[in-house]
Amino acid sequence: MPIVKAVTCPVCGSLCDDIELTIENGEIVKVKNGCAMCEAKFLSHRSEHRIRKPLIRKNGELVKTTLKEAVQRAAEILAEANYPVLYGWSSTSCEAISVGIELAEEVGGVIDNTAVVCHGPSLLSVQDVGIPSCTLGQIRHRADLIIYWGCDPWSAHPRHIERYTAFSEGRFEKSAWRGYIAKIRTLIGRKKIQSTVRRLVFKKPPEIKAQLEPTFVPSIAKEGRKLIVIDVRRTKTAEMADFFVRVEPGKDYELLQAFRALIRDQELEVDSVAGVPVGYLEEVADAMVSCDFGALFFGLGLTMSGAKLRNIDAALSLVRDLNMRTKFVIMPMRGHFNVTGANTVFTWQTGYPYAVDFSLGYPRYNPGETSVVDVLLRGESDAALIVASDPVSNFPRKAAEHIAKNPLIYIGPHMDVTAQVADVVIPSAMVGVEASGTAYRMDHVPIPLKKVVDPPRGVLPDEEILRRILTEVRKIKREKAKAEAA
Amino acid sequence: MNVNLYPLKEFKLPIVAECINPDIFQEKSLKEIEALKVWEGNKQKRLGELFKVEAVETSFEAPVITIHGNASRVRRIGVGMKSGEIIIKGDAGMHLGEEMRGGKITVYGNVLGWAGSMMKGGTIEIYGNAGDYLGAPYRGSTEGMKDGKIIVHGNVGREAGAHMRKGIIKIYGSAGQFAGFRMKGGTIYVQKDCESRAGACMVDGTIVVGGHIESVMPTFTIEGLRKRVKIEEGEIVEAPFYLFIGDLTENGHGRLFIAKEPNPHLSHYEKFL
Repeated sequence: MPIVKAVTCPVCGSLCDDIELTIENGEIVKVKNGCAMCEAKFLSHRSEHRIRKPLIRKNGELVKTTLKEAVQRAAEILAEANYPVLYGWSSTSCEAISVGIELAEEVGGVIDNTAVVCHGPSLLSVQDVGIPSCTLGQIRHRADLIIYWGCDPWSAHPRHIERYTAFSEGRFEKSAWRGYIAKIRTLIGRKKIQSTVRRLVFKKPPEIKAQLEPTFVPSIAKEGRKLIVIDVRRTKTAEMADFFVRVEPGKDYELLQAFRALIRDQELEVDSVAGVPVGYLEEVADAMVSCDFGALFFGLGLTMSGAKLRNIDAALSLVRDLNMRTKFVIMPMRGHFNVTGANTVFTWQTGYPYAVDFSLGYPRYNPGETSVVDVLLRGESDAALIVASDPVSNFPRKAAEHIAKNPLIYIGPHMDVTAQVADVVIPSAMVGVEASGTAYRMDHVPIPLKKVVDPPRGVLPDEEILRRILTEVRKIKREKAKAEAA
Repeated sequence: MNVNLYPLKEFKLPIVAECINPDIFQEKSLKEIEALKVWEGNKQKRLGELFKVEAVETSFEAPVITIHGNASRVRRIGVGMKSGEIIIKGDAGMHLGEEMRGGKITVYGNVLGWAGSMMKGGTIEIYGNAGDYLGAPYRGSTEGMKDGKIIVHGNVGREAGAHMRKGIIKIYGSAGQFAGFRMKGGTIYVQKDCESRAGACMVDGTIVVGGHIESVMPTFTIEGLRKRVKIEEGEIVEAPFYLFIGDLTENGHGRLFIAKEPNPHLSHYEKFL
């Protein structure tokens, strides 16, 4: 059985590139080194939910059709539309995104990627404040303080801690893995002793403990790599952290600003900020200032709650302030495997990272006005092209209803909710499994994606499908111009 | 010449109509006004295709443009206007009076985001509610309102007066969070309630909140109690106000006045006085 080594996993923004796949009869049968999500994705290429033939809606029913007819119908919808939206892009290759932007310009539409519902606020604040960042390799080898704020990598980016941060074996910083194991063993041992004593001596049922108020933990002062988690709940990542700060939901902005004031040696006139005693914050601020190389990772807990983009504004400013005292970097925990690539390619070609409106013939950008969710909520669009995304299942209901109401073209490998309400469905090859391409890791490092198995017969990659639609749209426009001239 | 505009249909697509501007209409005939270019979605149209245009001869020099009907999808009305007047008897769309330098815009309905964005002079009066980013610059810009006056009789959304440098915004309703974000000068008056984070990262300027505020940013320091606050020439609010100075994180000395009576939860600051 052939084994393919060093495959890049097309799931999350960590883009782990050490996956080993075992191929048998043109199918992936075994996945090594990957997390559960990675394994599920690689094995799903033979899933029963795959779309194998292009579909088109006739008399309210999706019926099988030829690729040529599906492409023709998609091109007609887009060429006729007065304000189409082109959405998705974060789970496909940079090459396909590039063609997508060309198509958006040709049809005068609004093109947007999934950053609009995840790290869009981060991008807005980066434009306002700037971002002191680095590659994950640097963090792996040098960072002695890791902060995860509003994210739970243990669940969402399972190998992030192991490959790039606290549990990775760096050149100058040792892995904190052994320390964590020792901590867990002690904790389990202590719990066992306590429960034995309770059962045998006191004969009491187990108590349900109330959530503990934050208290000083001596581990903040430990040597070596430190992990601090700031979140609204005690997540899996928080369990393994040396220090956990529970912030009141929606109050991250106040906490960030309080940290900024403390780092600037200013006194606060309050006893607690966002439910955290100021004394406790001073401990964390001390740890931040006294580290040699700190890294702050933030997730949707920061971008999509309370102050939204201003949370990120404050986080970036905090890191800027920290750089006056020590070396500190900040990085968003990007979700989809190529959402960073989508932002990068959008910026190359249009000047803006997401929410680009081509309706006036040139790119315009003003999230809130040109972002797809807002366009849909105001009910302005009259057609949609969705590539490698499932907005109908996760957009606000009113927005999803508006997508479904108007002509909808779907390009993607699986029969998801968006595909079920679409008017034209074109199956595509899974990028990183059945098609090669390029994707950008969360630290803006481009990594090649491999083609390891063949797609189902007749199924093309996104790039090729989009190119055919673009050619067809241009043909329709040429014919229309000729007819008008005549 | 005064011009009346009547929408010919209910607009579904976004309309970009920068040409609805007294400076552009001036000294143009009815036919010329009808032929002005506007965008409906991704198609370019003539103003006359979307609006019924009616001209009334008057002796005034600067024209008055009146829109009768719902213009909530019509963006960029009165952008950069220097003189004259626009009256909208209905709702107005985004970027109303962006970068305007003079004249007056009156809206007898609601307006969407970025009304009076980067304004440099003139007056905007809104009798309904205003959306987010009232008087604030477009994304990525730090050039806020430089002068002029915005009066809103209803409520406003988030970040009213962000990056403001000069001028005055008077809100007789409630305001959303981040009123006066990164403000560098000017005055914002919120007569009723204000969501939290008012004046976050402000460096200078004045914010007055007459109603309830959930909390004051921890990075503000109390300066004292005041018996009255002057909003502008001829408008003084007589009531006890806490005066906070901030934002400390930006080494700012902006002044944040919070009415004492509706905010008993801030009384713990009095121990510092």
